[in-house]
Amino acid sequence: MKFSNIVNASLIYATFRSATPIIYAALCAAITQQANILNIGTEGIMLVGAFTAVTVSYLTGSWVLAIVISMLAGMVIAWIMAIGHIKYQAEICAIGMGINMFALAITKFLLNSILGKSGSFTDPSIVGIPRVHIPFLENIPVLNQIFNDWCITEWLVIVLVIVVTFLFYKTVWGLRLRAVGKFELAAQTAGINVNAMKYQAILISGLIGGLAGAHLSLGYSKLFTEGMTNSRGFMGVAAMYFGGAHPVFTALGCLIFGFADSIGARVQAYGVPSQFVLLMPYVITVVVLAISMISKKSAEQKKKSSLTGGN
Amino acid sequence: MNENLRAVRKWLLTMLLAMGIGALFILLISENPIDAYAALFKGAFNGKLKFGTTLASFTPLLITSTAFAIAAKAGAFNVGVEGEVFLGGITAAYIGINWTFLPDPILLVACFLGAMIVGAAWAFIPGALKAYFDVNEVCVTILMNSVALYITSYLVSGPMSAGVANAQSDPVTVNLYQFLKPSSANTGLFIAIAAVIFIIWMLKKTTFGYKIRTVGTNPAHAEYVGINPKKVFIQTMMISGALGGMAGCIEVLGVHGYFLNNFATGLGSNGMLAALIVKSDVVLAPFMAFFLAILKSGAMGMQQSTGVPKSIVDTITAVFIIIATMELLFQFTGSKKRKKKAEKSAEEE
Repeated sequence: MKFSNIVNASLIYATFRSATPIIYAALCAAITQQANILNIGTEGIMLVGAFTAVTVSYLTGSWVLAIVISMLAGMVIAWIMAIGHIKYQAEICAIGMGINMFALAITKFLLNSILGKSGSFTDPSIVGIPRVHIPFLENIPVLNQIFNDWCITEWLVIVLVIVVTFLFYKTVWGLRLRAVGKFELAAQTAGINVNAMKYQAILISGLIGGLAGAHLSLGYSKLFTEGMTNSRGFMGVAAMYFGGAHPVFTALGCLIFGFADSIGARVQAYGVPSQFVLLMPYVITVVVLAISMISKKSAEQKKKSSLTGGN
Repeated sequence: MNENLRAVRKWLLTMLLAMGIGALFILLISENPIDAYAALFKGAFNGKLKFGTTLASFTPLLITSTAFAIAAKAGAFNVGVEGEVFLGGITAAYIGINWTFLPDPILLVACFLGAMIVGAAWAFIPGALKAYFDVNEVCVTILMNSVALYITSYLVSGPMSAGVANAQSDPVTVNLYQFLKPSSANTGLFIAIAAVIFIIWMLKKTTFGYKIRTVGTNPAHAEYVGINPKKVFIQTMMISGALGGMAGCIEVLGVHGYFLNNFATGLGSNGMLAALIVKSDVVLAPFMAFFLAILKSGAMGMQQSTGVPKSIVDTITAVFIIIATMELLFQFTGSKKRKKKAEKSAEEE
C-alpha cells in the first residue's frame, strides 16, 4: 500500500466532488433549521429532484431546463410538507419520513411506468451538466489537477454557500427568519408573519433540495437509480447539526464526510472489503455528529455554570 | 359527535383519500384502478399460498410496528428498527449454525436471546447519545441502519458465506414450524403475537409502562416525581431494539432457514409506517400492520394480473401516512365551534 497513491493532490478534488451533493442537502436542511424546523424530508426532496432532472434531460436534451424543473419539483414536494406541517400541524419528523417514503415509492413507480425501466435508468441521450474547462491551468501541474474540469454545479455550490450565508446574517429576511427560529412568539409580537416565514423557508429549502438532486443525477453521475440518494440527505442533516445551521461550518462538516468517502474509494484497491469502505462515511458521520453535540453540550454547561457562579 | 366516532370517520376518509390518489396514479398510466384494487385483494387472500404469504409478511411487520410504537411512547423516533432486524437475524443465524452442541429447544431459545441482546445493544447507542448528549436520534438511527446492513453483508459474503452464488449463510440447524405450506407462514407468528400482547400489557398495566408514558409525555414531570427520564428512555430504546432483533430471528429461523443478504430491506420502515399512521398507538398498530401486509402481499398478484407496477402500493402507503399525520385534516366545520368553546373555557379559567 503506497501512501502517496492514497493521499495526493487529486484527493482534494475527490473529496470536494463527493461532498458537493451533501453540501447542497445540508443547505436545504439549514434553511429550515434557521426557522426551527427539522427538515427530515431532505432525502425525499433530493430523490424527487434527481429523478426529475434525469427524466427532463432525457426527454428534452437540455440540462438547464432539467435543473429548473427539478428545482420546481423539489419545491412542490416541500410544499406538501409545508402545508402538512404548518396548516394541519403534522409532526415534522413523521411527515418528513412520510415524504421520504413517498419520494422513494413515486420515483420507483414513475421509473417503471414513464421510462419503462426498473432498478436504474441510464441512456446516452441524457445530457449531463457540463464541466468547466479552464485552458490556462493546463500547464500548471497541481492546480490543473485540483481546479480544472469542475462541474458547473460544483462551482455553483460555493456561490450558494456564500449567498445563503449573506441571506441569513446580512439581510432583513434572514434576521426575521432567525427570529422566528429563536422565539416564535417574540417574532410574532414584533410584527413578523411567522407562518409566511416558515412557508418561505420550506419552499426555498425545496428549491435547493431539488438542485441537490439534479446535481446528484446529472453532475455527480449521469443516471438515475432507485434510492440513489443513499442517505446523503440524512448526512446533510447531520452536517447541518455539526455546523449549527451556519452554512460555512455546515459545508466544512460535509467535507469531512466527502474525505471519508474518497479515502475509502482509494483504500478499496488494496484489498479492504468493499462493505467496510461503504460503511465508513456513515460511521464517520455518526461519530462526528456525536462529538460535535457532546462538545456543544459541555460548552453550554460551562456557560450556564459561569452565569450562576458555579452552583 | 363524540371523539371515537370522529376518529373513525377520519380514518375512513384518510383511507379513501389515499386510495383515491392511488387510483389517480393508476389512471395516469391508463389502467383501470378498480380492476387493480380487486386484483390486489385477490392476491392477498385467494388460496392457501396467498393467505399464508400474507401471514408471513404480517409477522415481522407486527413486531417492527410495535417496536417503533413503544419507542415513540418514550418520545423516541426510532427509525433504526431495520438495522436491529438485520443484526438480530445474523446473530440468530450464527448461533443456529454454530452452537449445535445445545439440544434443539435450548438452541432455539439461545437464538432468540442472542438476537434480542444484539438488537438491544445496537439500539443502546442512539438511545444513550440522545439521552445524554441530545444527538438527534432520527439521523443516528438511519445512518446506523446502513452500517448494520453493510456489516451483515460483509459477514454473509465473507466469513459466514455458504459459498454459493447468492450472498447467504449456511442453513441453520433449528427451524420454526411452517404450518401453511407451501407458503412461509410459521409459528413465529404466535411468538410475535405473544410478544406484542406482553408489550401492550407492560405499557398499560405495569409501573415500568407508566414510567415510559410519563417520560414520553413530560420528561420534566418524570424527573420531578423521581423517575430518571434518561434511564427510562435508554431502556425503552433497548426494548425496541430487542423486538427488532426478535423479528430478525423469526425471519431467519422461520421464513428463510438461513441468513439471506438484504433480507430485511423495508421490514423496519414498513413497520414504522404502520405505527406512524396510527400515531404509535400500540393497540391499533397491529391492525395497521395487518392492513399493510395485505397491501404488500397482494401487490405481487396485482402486478402479474393487471400490469400496474407493485410500487403503486408503496406510493399509496406513503400518501396514506402523509395524510394521516396531518392532525387537523377532516375536522370540518364542527372544529371551529369547538375551538371557540375551548378558547372560551380556557379564558374563564
